[in-house]
Amino acid sequence: MSAAPAAAPRWKAILFRHETLLLLVLVAEWFYFDAVGARFATLDNTFEIVRHHVEIGLLALVMTPVILTGGIDLSVGSLLGLCAILFGKFWRDAGLSPLEAGACTIVVGALAGGLNAALITELRLPPLIVTLGTYSLFRGLAEAITHGSDTFTGFPSSFLALGQGHWLGLPAQTPVFVVVALGVWLLVHRTTFGRGFRAIGFAPEGARYAGIPVERRLALAYVLTGMVAAVAAIIYTARLGQARADAGTGYELYAITAVVLGGTSIFGGVGSVHGTLLGLAAIAVLDDGLVHARLPREAAGVLTGVLLLLALTGSVAPKLWAARSKRRPAPPAATPPSPPLPTP
Amino acid sequence: MSPPPLLELRGLLKSYGGVRALRGVDFDLRAGEVHALLGENGAGKSTLIKVVTGAHQPDGGTVSIDGQPVTGLTPASARKLGVACIYQQPALFPDLTVAENIALRLEPTSGFRRVAWAARRTRAQQLLDRIGAEISPEAEIRTLAMPQQQLVEIACAVGAGARIVIMDEPTASLTQKEQHLLFAVVHDLRAHGVGVIYISHRLEEIFGLADRVTVLRDGQSISTQAVAAIDEARLIQLMVGREVTQIYPPSESAPGEVVLSLSHLGASATPTRVRDITFDVRAGEVFGLAGLVGAGRTDLARVLFGLVPADSGEIRLQGQPVHLKSPQDAVAHGIACVPEDRRRHGVVLEMPVAHNMSMAIHSRLFPGSWLRLGAERRLALDFIRDLSVKCHGPEAPAGSLSGGNQQKVSLARWLATKPKVLILDEPTQGVDVGAKSEIHRIVRRLAKAGLAVVLISSDLPEVLGMSDRIGVMCSGALTAILPGDADAATVMAAALGKGSKGKAA
Repeated sequence: MSAAPAAAPRWKAILFRHETLLLLVLVAEWFYFDAVGARFATLDNTFEIVRHHVEIGLLALVMTPVILTGGIDLSVGSLLGLCAILFGKFWRDAGLSPLEAGACTIVVGALAGGLNAALITELRLPPLIVTLGTYSLFRGLAEAITHGSDTFTGFPSSFLALGQGHWLGLPAQTPVFVVVALGVWLLVHRTTFGRGFRAIGFAPEGARYAGIPVERRLALAYVLTGMVAAVAAIIYTARLGQARADAGTGYELYAITAVVLGGTSIFGGVGSVHGTLLGLAAIAVLDDGLVHARLPREAAGVLTGVLLLLALTGSVAPKLWAARSKRRPAPPAATPPSPPLPTP
Repeated sequence: MSPPPLLELRGLLKSYGGVRALRGVDFDLRAGEVHALLGENGAGKSTLIKVVTGAHQPDGGTVSIDGQPVTGLTPASARKLGVACIYQQPALFPDLTVAENIALRLEPTSGFRRVAWAARRTRAQQLLDRIGAEISPEAEIRTLAMPQQQLVEIACAVGAGARIVIMDEPTASLTQKEQHLLFAVVHDLRAHGVGVIYISHRLEEIFGLADRVTVLRDGQSISTQAVAAIDEARLIQLMVGREVTQIYPPSESAPGEVVLSLSHLGASATPTRVRDITFDVRAGEVFGLAGLVGAGRTDLARVLFGLVPADSGEIRLQGQPVHLKSPQDAVAHGIACVPEDRRRHGVVLEMPVAHNMSMAIHSRLFPGSWLRLGAERRLALDFIRDLSVKCHGPEAPAGSLSGGNQQKVSLARWLATKPKVLILDEPTQGVDVGAKSEIHRIVRRLAKAGLAVVLISSDLPEVLGMSDRIGVMCSGALTAILPGDADAATVMAAALGKGSKGKAA
């Protein structure tokens, strides 16, 4: 989708695309861990990797439109925890079936996303601050409801199958992930909503001047995030067989890392859903590969960090070189008039 | 022989890219005089200030201070030589107190030293007293109104022992009382042998305050006169007295029915309060809006485009009263607006030409919200051909185009909405001459096709050359509605608040 500069040769544009670099990293990871680790590159293990990363993957998918608008949602991990607890409450204490409890949980997720959206669009507060607040709020509520100790277990096996079973030989949660991935991809790349997200990310005031309903688009991005965080909470509960207040701790940073690694600019406007999927895969494979290679788990953090920094450097390096070689031979030109101040 | 002037500029030249902002300016400032600088928007006043304060280097000519030529002036060395500038928007630190802001300007910044808080406060108080400002040194800048902040700037200048003080439209946002206070400060500075360069659009201030006046036009100093030896009419004539060098396409349309009708429209949520605006625009008519920067024309455009709510009066479209709460409302009613700030509001620089052109018609071009890239590409190709936009194609990022072609992309976006009313806010600002006349031809063609066009422009020849009728604004109010063949001096007089329909406060 991202338009290549019309002048550059096409093969070069494709080679230096962020997605291509990321795919190469992913392949390299794969072969490395296959060489050093035992039973890594097997179908069963691939399925395990998928199973363990569906929740983070869901969060990363819906984080993509949010970051495209130039925003961020730090509250998704905490919301996952809150939704997991509420799902347990709805099922055990309110006596709802898992299906009904799930529906209620998704409504709660939408409301929580709506709270973020309202604070951001109505009060015009920065998303970073708003979701930093709800990050604490949602986790705090989860802990208050459980008094820090209550855990929900003993879910029926028909429900646990969603997280632990198989469907046509695939991990049972795969279809949910595929549907959400497809939906978000179409939303971002094939609808006017996606155009709106990008325009807002590039130039919020410019989007308003173009008649784009900025507030409604932002609300959509944050409500969708809340709903999908609730879905992730249900799958998480089914996979582990229990719901606790600390579910999903730190997932927000994981999700943001996947999005940014996937080439979405933290300043908004630039990015893609397939990039996010590649970024997610690179992190997931690294995570799992280290276990199989019997390397210390602590290495995962270090390597994820290095990977992120390398990928970012790799994608800006060609631009930096181009800018530098352009700047060097330039004659001392007249100082241009100072540019207009950026939008506050 | 008399002592050399404090400041002397000879044959000053300055270009930005291909635009020649200063082309031969002579100017001198004597100790103990107030020398007013007068000129239209874009005449070169701001550039002149930037050269004197060392912000920009001139391309040619000489700057002398106390008879000594100075080269390679920087903001720091200019300050050391006694130059200070009071801007319209003071550049103070909003979260620090008055005393701290003054100290930041005046105290040496090197080395670790204990802060002498008491001495700071005392000195700030002395400086504020000296200029007669009733401001507490303890007040945080953000709690002060704009004029009080200006007084703090003046206190800094006085404290720094400035001998050349530049004031850039200092009274633009002041009340009468504050103006008198400021004038008293200016008189005091003059009595202390300071030279003041006073920039203002308000002729009565120039006559009341200045000793001499220099008129700038098109980057040249036209004339320097003693204020006592000149009258208003002559000054206005000097400001506008240029031959119209450009040929404007003739008006061919016969105005039809009234499309846009404003009666007593007012809005206060804008930087300049819009007051009591009444005019009609007919189909096929180009209605020019002239005025100086800050006269409220862009503010009016923002009200008409639903970006700012109107709080009094009425807007009618083809006879029907409308309430515009958002740009979407405006678009739905057939109002389009090509905004003034092309790079921030007109186009999204990073997005392709095609995406920019389709942006205002998403709901019509893409039913059910699904993108139809083929239809979008055809739309873009049509407009690229129709408006002869020079670009690598519909996929080229808008930012890769020249200013004039970006403007055409912005125009295409709004023409795509098939509007009845088209507001053009400074459509040719920062656009090269070729693209400018192309845009003029396009505007004519649109008017001929029956659009009601509101043309806001600070380029006086453009307003005169393009408009069927001209509304002139000053301080948020409409001071005159003139026929399209009005002369420049009449328009300028109305823009300065000397219109026949009464004087603005």
